[in-house]
Amino acid sequence: MELFRLEHRKLWRKASVRVCVLLCFAYLVVFGGVLSYQWFEFGSADDVTSAFGNNFDGYAMIRAYQARADSYGAYLTDESLQRMVRDIQADNARGIRWENKDVRSTVNSYLWQLYPELEQTDNAYPILMEYYVDSSELTGLYQRRQAALEDFLRSQGQTGGEGAMLLDMNDKVQEPFRYGWVCGWQHVLGSYLPDLGVVMAVFLAIVLGPTFSGEWRSNTAPLLLTTQGGWRHLARAKILCGLAFAAELFALLAAGGVASQLVYLGTAGWDMPIQTVKMLAVAPMNMLQAEIYEYAFALLGAVGFAGVVMLLSALVKSNVLALLLSLAAAWGPAVVAQYLPYGLQKALDLLPLAGSAADIFRTNTFHIFGEYIWSPYLLITVPILTGLACLPFAAARWCRRQRA
Amino acid sequence: MELSIDRLTKHYGSKIAVDCVSAELTAGVYGLLGANGAGKTTLMRMLCAILESTSGEVFFNGEEVTGMGAAYRDVLGYLPQDFGYYPNYTAGEFLAYIAALKGIPRPIAQRRIRQLLSALGLQDAAGKRMRTFSGGMKQRVGIAQALLNDPQVLILDEPTAGLDPKERVHLRNLLADYAGDRIVILSTHIVSDVEAIADQVLLMRNGRFILRGTVPELVRQAEGKVWELTVPEGQAREWEDHFTVANFRHEGDRVVLRIISEGRPAEQAVPCRATMEDLYLCYFGQEA
Repeated sequence: MELFRLEHRKLWRKASVRVCVLLCFAYLVVFGGVLSYQWFEFGSADDVTSAFGNNFDGYAMIRAYQARADSYGAYLTDESLQRMVRDIQADNARGIRWENKDVRSTVNSYLWQLYPELEQTDNAYPILMEYYVDSSELTGLYQRRQAALEDFLRSQGQTGGEGAMLLDMNDKVQEPFRYGWVCGWQHVLGSYLPDLGVVMAVFLAIVLGPTFSGEWRSNTAPLLLTTQGGWRHLARAKILCGLAFAAELFALLAAGGVASQLVYLGTAGWDMPIQTVKMLAVAPMNMLQAEIYEYAFALLGAVGFAGVVMLLSALVKSNVLALLLSLAAAWGPAVVAQYLPYGLQKALDLLPLAGSAADIFRTNTFHIFGEYIWSPYLLITVPILTGLACLPFAAARWCRRQRA
Repeated sequence: MELSIDRLTKHYGSKIAVDCVSAELTAGVYGLLGANGAGKTTLMRMLCAILESTSGEVFFNGEEVTGMGAAYRDVLGYLPQDFGYYPNYTAGEFLAYIAALKGIPRPIAQRRIRQLLSALGLQDAAGKRMRTFSGGMKQRVGIAQALLNDPQVLILDEPTAGLDPKERVHLRNLLADYAGDRIVILSTHIVSDVEAIADQVLLMRNGRFILRGTVPELVRQAEGKVWELTVPEGQAREWEDHFTVANFRHEGDRVVLRIISEGRPAEQAVPCRATMEDLYLCYFGQEA
């Protein structure tokens, strides 16, 4: 324990580690969180050529968006959808444009997914369906959703047992949907949290890459090898330290992310189903459950990735090589996936932080030993198991190298 | 307590670094002397069981040391020649880290660290980061880490490198005090250090012990081979071309040469008392 404590202190003493943590925090929490909420994601549009041209009024705008969404009632129904469309069109007629992050963009996605036949291809802006559809035709929302989902699964070839499993999941989704302002949750679940893992991977690679390889540069092997506990105890302490760092980095980012989310978005809408973000999602989850899943995905992925990085660090003697290999482990799967068959692409997703937390919105499955498994179940468990499986090999490899 | 070296050999490809060395070491201070490349560091690393020998074995109290594993490391203290450290650690933290690696319980380690820092004159630097240390200070921290577990076998590879004369004298006294019933092996290029504290001196050349004995015994071997000769200033360099000259001393327009030679180098040369340095030059004069 004492060795772990000192190894942990040694890690945090490095200027490179502190700079990395600071940059990571600044990028994700300050840039991706606070500034994003206040300025370039949710600030009112001023200069439409760039999100950075937005006004610095996100906090007030979010309150206005939430109030407007709440005014359409607590549930998403045909009537509430029709009212939203009517209000958008009425304001448009008066020359008042609704901001992108207002309910307008959500309504637009619902119309595209559930009422595609209402698209007017001869319209000057056919994609802006909310401006021209006849609101009285927006009926049978949930029946249409069911039909659209079944069509989608058929078009994906997800029929038979796979389709039945996904439809069974969907049957547990409660209707009508609780409804509120969706865009804030969409930002958290569809953008911020899926990015969390990717950004953490870069910084974990930089910080943990030298875990074992760095000892060669320090020229400490003769000292370590003559100590009673020796390299074996140190390997254990280093591994624990690496895992602890991954957890600490996550905790820091999660705390910052949740705090900025609470300040700007509050807790409103936590009980909305994720189908309000993506109509054809099948998971019976509300926003809070989805957020917990995505944070768990990032934490378990980060710990698993830390294991992989430490194994790579033990395999080589150069810090630079350890870093390059670690970055390749983070980004390599995405780069090579496009050249691989679909089955292998999906298998690569199971590497730590290679898959996406946003799979909870999708109908991806794995077919293993005759069983269909919804992808998020494996995406959350396999990466950490992979990382933990790397650790004994990392320790053994490093110990063998130290002796050689 | 005994450390036995039994026909210890190390080959690096076709190069023989240590060549069938044997010795029985009991409690006391052993000075290992030899020119660069004589095999001192290789021998020390094998004695520490961190370098596998090509053949031969090392025994501690009758047990083969690599087989003893942690039990041997428990009684071993080692200062490597190029001692690696962590620049962001303070001296206190570094020693605590090594103490943890040595399995010393924290309260005992803290007490021992305080004692050693004080003994090595580092008490004021305990809280400073090691990257700010001078070479001598780092070396003293290295010595402190070797002493942390109060080892029965202490192996120091060039412990006085980087130390100023005062620090060297201080370290010599510390080691002399420490040795007692322990085995201390130190290698150095500074002959006077060995002369001052070594009970036994081992001269190494081409991977072999070529001479072994106490300082007076070894110095006796050089008696009759050390001469003083006073020559005009302009001739001094000529003498150096033909003999091993241990020292030049200017006296007016003449130079007094201290020459190492089997026979009298000149009629007017007078014999003088030999020292360890003279002995060293007898054997390594051409390569040192």
